[in-house]
Amino acid sequence: MTAALRQSPLHDAFLTLRPVLGIVHGMRVPLRLPGDGGTLTLALSDASCLPRMGVKGPQAEQWLRSQGVEMPLGVNAWTRGNDGMLIARLARSEFFLEDRMGGTSVERLSATLRPAPGVYPVTRQDAALVLTGALVNELLVQTCNVDFQHWRLEQPTVVMTSMVGVSVLILWHPLKAQPCYRIWCDGTFGPYLWETLLEIARELGGGAIGLESLFPETPGLVDKSRT
Amino acid sequence: MSGFAGDVVTSALWAAGMQSLGRSFKYHRPRGVLSFANHDVNVLLEDAAHINLRGDVTPLMQDMDLAAVNTFGNAGIKGDRAAILDRLSGFLPVGFYYKAFHRPKWLAPRWEGFFRFMSGLGRVKFDAPRVVTPKRYGFCDVLVIGTGPAGLSAAIAAASAGARVLAVDENARPGGSLGFARAGGDEALSRLNQLLESLRALPNVEIRSGTCAAGYYTDHWVSLIDAQRMTKVRARSVIFASGVFEQPAVFRNNDVPGVMLASGAQRLIYRYGVKPMETAVVLAANREGYEVALDLLRHGVQVAALVDLRQGGEPSAAGQRVAAAGVRVLTGYCIDEAVASGSSVSGALVCPLSQSGEPNRACAASISCDGILMSVGFTPAANLLYQAGARMRYDDQVEQFVPAQLPEGVYAAGRVNGVYDLEHKLRDGERAGLEAAKHAGYGSADSMLSAQEAVQRERRKPSHSYPIFSHPAGKNFVDFDEDLQLRDFFNAAQEGFDNIELLKRYTTVGMGPSQGKHSNMNAVRILARIRGEPIEKVGTTTARPFFHPVPMSHLAGRGFHAMRRTPLHARHDAAGALFMQAGNWWRPEYYAAAGKTKLECVREEVRAVRTAVGLIDVGTLGKMDLFGPDAAEFLERMYTGRFANLKVGMTRYAVMVDESGVVIDDGVVGRLSDQHFYFTTTTTGSANVYRELTRLNTMWGLQAGVVNVTGAYAAMNLAGPRSRDVLAPLTTLDLSSQAFPYLGLREGEVAGVPVRMMRVGFVGELGYEIHARAEHAVTLWDALMRAGSAHGIRPFGVEAQRLLRLEKGHIIIGQDTDGLTTPFEAALEWAIKMDKPFFVGQRSLKIIQERPRKHKLVGFNLSPGFAGAAPKECHLVIRDGDIAGRVTSIAYSESLDRHVGMAFVPPDMAADGTRFNIRADGGHMVEAQVVKTPFYDPASDRQKAA
Repeated sequence: MTAALRQSPLHDAFLTLRPVLGIVHGMRVPLRLPGDGGTLTLALSDASCLPRMGVKGPQAEQWLRSQGVEMPLGVNAWTRGNDGMLIARLARSEFFLEDRMGGTSVERLSATLRPAPGVYPVTRQDAALVLTGALVNELLVQTCNVDFQHWRLEQPTVVMTSMVGVSVLILWHPLKAQPCYRIWCDGTFGPYLWETLLEIARELGGGAIGLESLFPETPGLVDKSRT
Repeated sequence: MSGFAGDVVTSALWAAGMQSLGRSFKYHRPRGVLSFANHDVNVLLEDAAHINLRGDVTPLMQDMDLAAVNTFGNAGIKGDRAAILDRLSGFLPVGFYYKAFHRPKWLAPRWEGFFRFMSGLGRVKFDAPRVVTPKRYGFCDVLVIGTGPAGLSAAIAAASAGARVLAVDENARPGGSLGFARAGGDEALSRLNQLLESLRALPNVEIRSGTCAAGYYTDHWVSLIDAQRMTKVRARSVIFASGVFEQPAVFRNNDVPGVMLASGAQRLIYRYGVKPMETAVVLAANREGYEVALDLLRHGVQVAALVDLRQGGEPSAAGQRVAAAGVRVLTGYCIDEAVASGSSVSGALVCPLSQSGEPNRACAASISCDGILMSVGFTPAANLLYQAGARMRYDDQVEQFVPAQLPEGVYAAGRVNGVYDLEHKLRDGERAGLEAAKHAGYGSADSMLSAQEAVQRERRKPSHSYPIFSHPAGKNFVDFDEDLQLRDFFNAAQEGFDNIELLKRYTTVGMGPSQGKHSNMNAVRILARIRGEPIEKVGTTTARPFFHPVPMSHLAGRGFHAMRRTPLHARHDAAGALFMQAGNWWRPEYYAAAGKTKLECVREEVRAVRTAVGLIDVGTLGKMDLFGPDAAEFLERMYTGRFANLKVGMTRYAVMVDESGVVIDDGVVGRLSDQHFYFTTTTTGSANVYRELTRLNTMWGLQAGVVNVTGAYAAMNLAGPRSRDVLAPLTTLDLSSQAFPYLGLREGEVAGVPVRMMRVGFVGELGYEIHARAEHAVTLWDALMRAGSAHGIRPFGVEAQRLLRLEKGHIIIGQDTDGLTTPFEAALEWAIKMDKPFFVGQRSLKIIQERPRKHKLVGFNLSPGFAGAAPKECHLVIRDGDIAGRVTSIAYSESLDRHVGMAFVPPDMAADGTRFNIRADGGHMVEAQVVKTPFYDPASDRQKAA
């Protein structure tokens, strides 16, 4: 693994918010923001630092199983492995994996993955956003044409759709009794998506929050040896 | 003036005794209330921030300052100076506009100025504050359009079956005709309250009033328009209970203020408590006309006469009640003319109708009144049904179009379905609700009512077949928006426009803001009469979204323009970059420097690359990984060149053509291993190329996998004679030409960042295109800029790159080619391997290859001392006064001290040394000469530098 510091696709966008920065998973992230700890009805956060990878090809499922990775129940479904890793099946032969905060599974799998017939690595450099709060659905109906209100945790669903004109990957799970949506997009669209969602979130009384508000374990993972 | 809370502007004005509320579009005739349902535009107003406010639905507010649109002079409606046009109407017949432009031609510009000055409703206010109108998406199981009795009944039935129901209505309150058509009694109101009570008990129903369903799109997407925004609703099934538009009768002066649709008067009474007139004459051809008379009588309006077009009168209880009330009923009569006094009605001239239905003017009689109500029929509000793909047929029984066949998941109920009596409407609504719920996955088949049982169309005729009467003095209006009179239709047909679509375009019937709500049906009836054919055969015009005008701000919404930024965007910004759009990317056009012009900045950037070193962000290039045992075969099929023999660690230029042999993309293909290629595409082509690669990969079934890593990889081109010096201290890779030759591809680390590096020559200097994961882009860029500072490095933008590549004669796809350019025309023959077994477009190219070329891309230069205004891109090559070609690229090259460019010219002008003329701005000719490319460093020694 390279020693070079990683930079979030949203780095320049959150830098304007006067964040308290720290390095997590080799990436400089906004640990805390001025709005943290308040009563935001809608909060937006950058989780791009979480390690992620993709693999596709007719043998991708077989390779993942051989690595002990749990499989979602079907296409457009996701699950969490015992190690907390998120595994989403985007198509019959395409998978998206993202580690939990502090996890090392993706790093291990990435090191193992080599292109082979039917197993093709997908380099992921997504902007990863987290949307949470009581008014999150109000934001979603202004930005995306998917009806999320029928989603249930018993049927964990992941969809590839368009949000404010950007192709995104979205899934939902509850967080602290609030709806929480994870959104990934091509990093080059990240700043536009972030700024647009933040503008709408602010109109709805929301704003941006730091990673510590979402992942309480973050402070223990900050790399204090680098600045 | 004053009004009451809850009033709209029109009701307040009418209550205050003002009847002239607007001026008509063409003849500037005074207009008053017509439908009072937002189905006409007689009352259009503007204030400081808004234009074309509709008085019929604009709530009255404190301190409103409104003016009528389409008036000239300072005296508003009363003193509209353009009213003179009404007297000149004989000179302004239908088709006048077209003919005016036709002959004499020299008058056309003057006519244009006149028409532009006179026409248009309202004036755009450029200083109006921006109104933010974010769009929303909405979802439901069953969408009910219209909350009249049928719609409410449908909503109750669907919701009771368990469906999530959204019911919308353009009116301020639900209820439809139950709210205002009461036949002088209270039963309708009581039924409405019962229905609303039932709805309130259902938690899965949402009612949105003041919301117009204005457009239907595939898969049950319906656009809903309310005062604030547009909501795009996706429903599993849709019920159209949209009701009908009441239709006017056509007689002389039927537009004078005081003549209105009967339902308009009912709305004034029951919605706003406004007495529409003191004494009325009711023109009727249906039961509803008699019920209106009963409503009028109940509210103190004297009914001077009820003029019934039908010989048999009204046999129902309503007819008996009207007679019992002592109203004078004239059956088999028509109104021949509304008598106007000033700008309002003072009487009605009535005539008995002959056997053929013509007014017998010899027996005309005048009846004094201050209002005339028209109740002669309806047309279904079926615009969205048409958009949904419903097939409609004309039902002679009810004299209206009714659905004959509905698309899957689409249902109709109530009057739009030809069902008029209240009990029938409720039952029809229930049937539609149950069917729609079932389609959405709720309820059971057992709960279905039989369609045959439910749809009970009337045995009476709610609409008259031809409530239209000619008059020698005209002014009998068919279309109130466009001031179209009856004779206009006869004239149009006489001129050959006797097809409904042609008639529409020639007369402009239905093309005003009302979109034909009160005119299209009468136009169809008139055309049928002219052609002597049944209405079914005449047909209707196409109804496109939006059938009701929608504010532009609603259409614009928040305005999403998804633009991409490379990971280096902030670095460019800090360095003074001025950005330009390249496809959906922001790219630095050039880096501005204080006190220097754009041209000076660009030339300095070019100079840095030619003499020292420059760094450009090329991360916008499309980038693909291609894996698998068949990867090479896949490339052989996709690109025109040969790639099976490409050695690992080397790159090759690649051209892609489409099936017709047209050049659509180019890039560089590199081989990282036997089964792994990495290649680039153009900036704007990456998405399309990836889509096509994926499609063909699926179709061909090769063992290959394509991964689009355009956004995942950053890329920068370090170029210039000092580039190796800059790079060397940052990497352990051997950069010597022996170890890393021109067109080589290497993987390694630069400044601790894993990279893929290609030796390329796009700008014609020793250069390294360095690709790295996006997350490391800034680290890499900063390291290169730091290391380059001692060598005079500077970032360069797109403008400098365009000049540098032009000096090398390298083409840009889309600039030096167009949608018809083949490789043979673009001087790319060398990149086409026609002897390959197959590649996409090869078959077409084989055919094209045998045909003579029409033009060829050549390099050219201007004379060294040229000092005039230089030609620009797209300027034309002229030979013997005719267009012979065009310039695709041109720029002044400081390195060559002259203008160089590329142009398409005919093959016989493509030989070196041929001189040709380019017509520059202002029409002056500039001489150019064909020369071979590259213009700069013809042997390409610099980019191959050892």
